[in-house]
Amino acid sequence: MSRKVPQEEYEKTVSYRLKRWLEGTKDPFLNTVEMRPQKEFEEDEQTVRAREKDRKRNAEKVYDLERNAEIRIFRKVYRVFSVLFCVFLVMMLLTAVSWLPAVGEADRPVNNEVSKRYIENGLQETGAVNIVTGMILDYRAFDTLGESHVLFVATCTVLILLRLDGKKDPERFDANDRLHEPKNDVILQTVAKILVPPIFIFGIYIILAGHLGPGGGFSGGAVIGAGLILYLNAFGFAKTERFFTAKTYRRTSFCALACYSLCKSYSFFTGANHIESVIPLGKPGAILSSGLILILNICVGIVVAGTMYTFYVMFRKGEY
Amino acid sequence: MESLESAYGILFTGVLIVLAALILLCLLRAIIGPRTADRIVAANMMGTMVIVMIAILTVKLGEGYLADICLIYAMISFLAVIVLTKVYMGVYLEKKEKDEKAAASRNREETTGDGQTQDGSAQSLQDGSSGEEVSDGNI
Amino acid sequence: MEIFEWVRFLAGAAFLLAGVVIFLIEMAGVFRFRYVLNRMHAAAMGDTLGIGFCLLGLIVMNGLNVTSLKLFLVIVFLWFSSPVSSHLIARLEVTTNEDGEKQYQVKNLDQEPQESGGKEEL
Repeated sequence: MSRKVPQEEYEKTVSYRLKRWLEGTKDPFLNTVEMRPQKEFEEDEQTVRAREKDRKRNAEKVYDLERNAEIRIFRKVYRVFSVLFCVFLVMMLLTAVSWLPAVGEADRPVNNEVSKRYIENGLQETGAVNIVTGMILDYRAFDTLGESHVLFVATCTVLILLRLDGKKDPERFDANDRLHEPKNDVILQTVAKILVPPIFIFGIYIILAGHLGPGGGFSGGAVIGAGLILYLNAFGFAKTERFFTAKTYRRTSFCALACYSLCKSYSFFTGANHIESVIPLGKPGAILSSGLILILNICVGIVVAGTMYTFYVMFRKGEY
Repeated sequence: MESLESAYGILFTGVLIVLAALILLCLLRAIIGPRTADRIVAANMMGTMVIVMIAILTVKLGEGYLADICLIYAMISFLAVIVLTKVYMGVYLEKKEKDEKAAASRNREETTGDGQTQDGSAQSLQDGSSGEEVSDGNI
Repeated sequence: MEIFEWVRFLAGAAFLLAGVVIFLIEMAGVFRFRYVLNRMHAAAMGDTLGIGFCLLGLIVMNGLNVTSLKLFLVIVFLWFSSPVSSHLIARLEVTTNEDGEKQYQVKNLDQEPQESGGKEEL
């Protein structure tokens, strides 16, 4: 709509056409394709009846399991073969395991100089008291980058498969199976109000203390996700969507993963070109130490928390 | 001190063995228990006993960070009870409503044959539908 | 001081063994009662008092440091959350029991009257 120019003239301008194209409401075939005026498609009764009869007969023949000889034979053969296949797999795996070397022998390929170097120089080179965190977020941070992206892709897959759009699929969306569940339990709500903030604080503590003790991004993110699920169960979807919606999840996950990638690219760049990275390692045992591990832990924790909550909501409601 | 160390060791080992036996008994309860609530209760109990075992290991090995695991276990078992009870109640109430609707429609089909009992069937339908309401304030 | 160490050990061991005894009583109760709600009541005993004594004993044995604080936080969290678990399980049992009238008496199942008339969107 335009106030300066009447509607018909406005519809001929470039800006209107651009806006329609951006929104997707533009009809792509208008004024470009010649079409003859169309008639309604009518079928006479006889063809319709014949087609329905054929379809029914085919369906009966395929799905009539009592009289279908192929399916009966297949069932019996399938059972025997599945058992044999499982036994074969188990035997193969057991044989492979029996060829493994015993634990702890000195001249086996597992005990090589890589693990020695990690254990001896780990604290000094990464600055993290917890060697495992130092390894997964400093020596082998590329693997962790792949893992975080795998989490994100898994969430996207679940969203594609399970998401119900209220506008396009109103029947399936309304027929939810949560009509009969108990709602608004006063006891649960009171206790959830008291317990959820400490759970969040505990999760944040686990994430931040990842390089000082066991923990790190993955377990801390799981605890924060559990706190969100508790809040959701106590108060309902409407109240939780006040602060955590799909938009929130998208933005936080994207920012966290982008930040992770940028930090790690900096490390790769300085490492590959033999430049000294200026990030100080700090004193081992302090919170602000070990270089970039703190930031990476936080990013991973954010992604994991959002993922856990998204999975739960997708399986319960289908949209959020 | 030698004897003190060995005393600690014996005490902790004994308690751990007893708790392990109790956990197996909980599992038995979970398998036997005829109702759903029995099984949820058994799972909760198992979680509690595992928390005690991990706390004993914390003190025995002297590692402070294992106490975080106890806290996480407590949270997760609590969350499990909440979600399970909610889902089971929903499933049960939905099944009950479906059964009652099927029974009501069957009653209606049977009694529409003879027209005399139609008032009686309408009465029984009303009673059936009022029993379906969740708020049982009359009890 | 030697005596102090021994006193600490004995006090901690007393608490710990009291906790284990409570767990044993709880198991006996869970297996011997006839009805579900009684069994659930027996199980709640272990969640609160049993674990309270056990962890108190461990705190005494450990002395005063951060680990003891964490164990104390476990006790606090469990004492907040265990009654809610019992309440939810009891509600589940009362709703799904077919012959409930023979076993117990229910006064009022819902906490607040549903005046809004419809099922609120959850």
